[in-house]
Amino acid sequence: MSNNYFNTLPLREQLEQLGKCRFMSMDEFSDGVEALKGKKIVVIGCGAQGLNQGLNLRDSGLDVSYTLRAEAIAEKRQSWKNATENGFVVGTYEELIPTADVVLNLTPDKQHTPVVNAVMPLMKEGACLSYSHGFNIVEEGMKIREDLTVIMVAPKCPGSEVRAEYVRGFGVPTLIAVHEDNDPQGEGLALAKAYAVGTGGHKAGVLMSSFIAEVKSDLMGEQTILCGMLQTGSLLCFDKMVAEGIDAGYASKLIQYGWETITEALKYGGVTNMLDRLSNPAKIKAFDLAEEMKQIMRPLYNKHQDDIIDGTFSRTMMEDWANDDKNLLGWRAETAETAFEKTPAGDVEISEQEYFDNGILMVAMVKAGVELAFETMTAAGIIPDSAYYESLHETPLIANTIARKKLYEMNATISDTAEYGCYLYNHACLPLLADFMKDIKTDVIGKGLELDDTGVDNARLIEVNAALRSHPVEAIGAVLRGHMADMKKIV
Amino acid sequence: MNIRLENLTVNFDDRFQLDEINWQLDDTQHWVITGTNGAGKSALAAILAGAGDIVSGSMSGVPAKVGLVSFEAQAELIERERKKDDADIMDVISEGTPVHEILHEGDRNPVLIQQLVSMFKLESLLDRAFRKLSTGESRKVMLIRALASEPDLLVLDEPFDGLDAHTLEMLQQYLLSLVETVPMILVLNRFDEFPDFITHIAYVDQGRLQHQIDRHDSQAYNELYHLLHLKTTELQVPPTDSDTALPPLDPTQPLVRLNKINVTYDGHRIIDSLDWTIEPNQHWQLSGPNGSGKTCLLSLITGDHPQCYVNDIFVFGFQRGNGESIWQIKQFIGYVSTALQWEYKVGTGLRNVIISGFYDSIGLYTKATDRQKQIADQWLALLGMSDRADTPFNKLSYGDQRLLLIARAMVKHPPLLILDEPCLGLDDMNRQLVLALIEKICAASETAVLYVNHHAEDKIKGIDHYLALEKREPDSSQ
Repeated sequence: MSNNYFNTLPLREQLEQLGKCRFMSMDEFSDGVEALKGKKIVVIGCGAQGLNQGLNLRDSGLDVSYTLRAEAIAEKRQSWKNATENGFVVGTYEELIPTADVVLNLTPDKQHTPVVNAVMPLMKEGACLSYSHGFNIVEEGMKIREDLTVIMVAPKCPGSEVRAEYVRGFGVPTLIAVHEDNDPQGEGLALAKAYAVGTGGHKAGVLMSSFIAEVKSDLMGEQTILCGMLQTGSLLCFDKMVAEGIDAGYASKLIQYGWETITEALKYGGVTNMLDRLSNPAKIKAFDLAEEMKQIMRPLYNKHQDDIIDGTFSRTMMEDWANDDKNLLGWRAETAETAFEKTPAGDVEISEQEYFDNGILMVAMVKAGVELAFETMTAAGIIPDSAYYESLHETPLIANTIARKKLYEMNATISDTAEYGCYLYNHACLPLLADFMKDIKTDVIGKGLELDDTGVDNARLIEVNAALRSHPVEAIGAVLRGHMADMKKIV
Repeated sequence: MNIRLENLTVNFDDRFQLDEINWQLDDTQHWVITGTNGAGKSALAAILAGAGDIVSGSMSGVPAKVGLVSFEAQAELIERERKKDDADIMDVISEGTPVHEILHEGDRNPVLIQQLVSMFKLESLLDRAFRKLSTGESRKVMLIRALASEPDLLVLDEPFDGLDAHTLEMLQQYLLSLVETVPMILVLNRFDEFPDFITHIAYVDQGRLQHQIDRHDSQAYNELYHLLHLKTTELQVPPTDSDTALPPLDPTQPLVRLNKINVTYDGHRIIDSLDWTIEPNQHWQLSGPNGSGKTCLLSLITGDHPQCYVNDIFVFGFQRGNGESIWQIKQFIGYVSTALQWEYKVGTGLRNVIISGFYDSIGLYTKATDRQKQIADQWLALLGMSDRADTPFNKLSYGDQRLLLIARAMVKHPPLLILDEPCLGLDDMNRQLVLALIEKICAASETAVLYVNHHAEDKIKGIDHYLALEKREPDSSQ
């Protein structure tokens, strides 16, 4: 196994790379797809990202074909069907890679090392290799041939959405980066920008980042607040409600759809708006619960970030890869056996507001998780724009997946990297919150406060509101959501 | 009173015919009959007063005393007076029948006549000859005659036309006082004239009673309003935005040329070696049963079908697959389909939905110019939706959404407007609305219309080219 690339850099450069992230302005994309016009783009892999990005690029007037492993073609596997039925040329690595000006590696992270090792010797002198995730370069330390340009273009949404948004004339927020060690002709940025335009990403906003900042913030976000916190919160809240005598069907539904409903408020107006959906006494309650949980969980968030930064996380995960995913598959099976997973959502009507009123603890968990992830990332040198996207911005996406598929399928849908991190978090966080959960009653999860008097102390309310609104994730959120709103009139 | 018209066909001197009318009215109801000019609404009202010859069907329960006020009845009376004059063989100038005699003709309540005369301020005209009156004045006389006959059913055909504001108010007040005692049928073609006491509305078109709606069914009421608005408004397709004008097309080239098109899916051939050329300004109807490949064929033209890259397709100056983007193709096409409507799930306002047609986007992601807003507002006015420019699109009824999407498709004056089953899922009223709009667009613009329908016989005026696809059996593939 190669060396962790990040760990080979001097501190000065580590800090510089971690701190790279800039929201690009629309006029930086005025060249459109020009830099890719007439070039031969070959996509490796034809799954959800590969197919949908390819469809967009072709519809933007670019020359796209697909290369698959010889077995996939011979056996007419799904990826082969995806590509051929959509009228694309499909060929083996040997047939297509040598002709490619740009190779888009859109295979799963886990396959990057063998895939890149197979295609690199076949690539044309001076061609470009593009990633959508930097794990292979940063964590596995893959060394790319010196004459090749290496870029990253990562749409921050599932593949189906990448296509749907393009077709409607828009796009999805996209992160781009150039691997500075591999930009021999200085054309990396131009290629990455043209690629982002070709997929429609420039319309929804593009973040210029670095391979390192992308990997270290992406890993942190997905394993803590995005997947880990929602998984842990689902299990704790469900078991608590059932123990307190709440109907299991109701509890299951409140959680399955509750995350989606409350994070919808988060998407529109940040943590502040999510808490503003609560009554005054409930808001103060949620605030206090979140403060308590933040204190309990902060060491865990720090540990996750530290392990990600120094490479411990990726190393242990890759050991599991090498061990036939023993841990991953075991944990996945455990998830399927949890009470929440096995209890279908009840046939009960829950109004939009009721998800807030009866889910005060869930609101508090989202608040605590988002703020902790953001605080931990920025403390590690990741800049706020990036930390915002990898925490608050993506939480509704995962919440939406849980609403559609609950936990087991959510875990199967996300990348193996995210899933592995999610289980690590979950296993550590469940015992950590055990004592805290002992004092939790149905007033904050399941039934709502049911107060006769909803009065609150003015001074306390002012204090809580001020604290909510002055959190740094709210400041950067207001700016970035403003950019988005300018470009996307409808959300 | 319980009037029943069953399968009633009535002929009016071979000039006009009402067909297969089925209608029931009772004395708790007050109806408005509405429709466009020449639709047959006056005829429908008049048969209740005995006009026309019943060809078939039956009419029962019409009370003996029906008070009718209409232009036809008014004209008839004036004609009678004129004939009296002609018939006068004595060599004296006939003054004709004075108003007071006309008023008291037949079985009428003299006290009521007096009251009404003073209400309509006709005292000074009582001795004047009826045929010397102005139209407005003689109309008042007709009204008094009808009202003073104390009818069991009052039929008023455009009673408010030609009345001054003061008289109008008087009359409306008076009708209101009759609401509890006399059932009324009013023929009116302006919605804003419908009195509040109306309980039902009958919509007549082409000699048929097309719709009967309850006044309180606000959705049906709203749809009827739009239908009437569209039918009665001269359609002037609003101009397009010169700042975002389309690149010019070579007028000698076809808009679309498909050459030996093949589409295969999952081993099944959906389209087999099809040729099709659409020239500028040609209106086409594409028909065929489900599964015959209609939508597939369209998506090859619009660039939404991935196999458009492996077929010989020439569209709007581009031979497909040579580095053009789909947005360069889509800019020349206006497109409406049920699928688009399903996808167009946005909460943005109606004005923005129309403007999104300039950008071929679902939702609006670009700041609209003042000019574009102006044009969108003209379309909204055309559709009778001016008051709802900022209403969220998803709050609109299904039929209104469809109309709005047609306006969105037309806003940029595309060389080709594709309407894929534009009436699918619409009720009869909305169907008529949509067809009325399409007919007007065919007649009033430079756009070639491609209308897609299940049924080849469901034709639109102005369309004169046809392509019928046949269903392909799955087995006949390859």
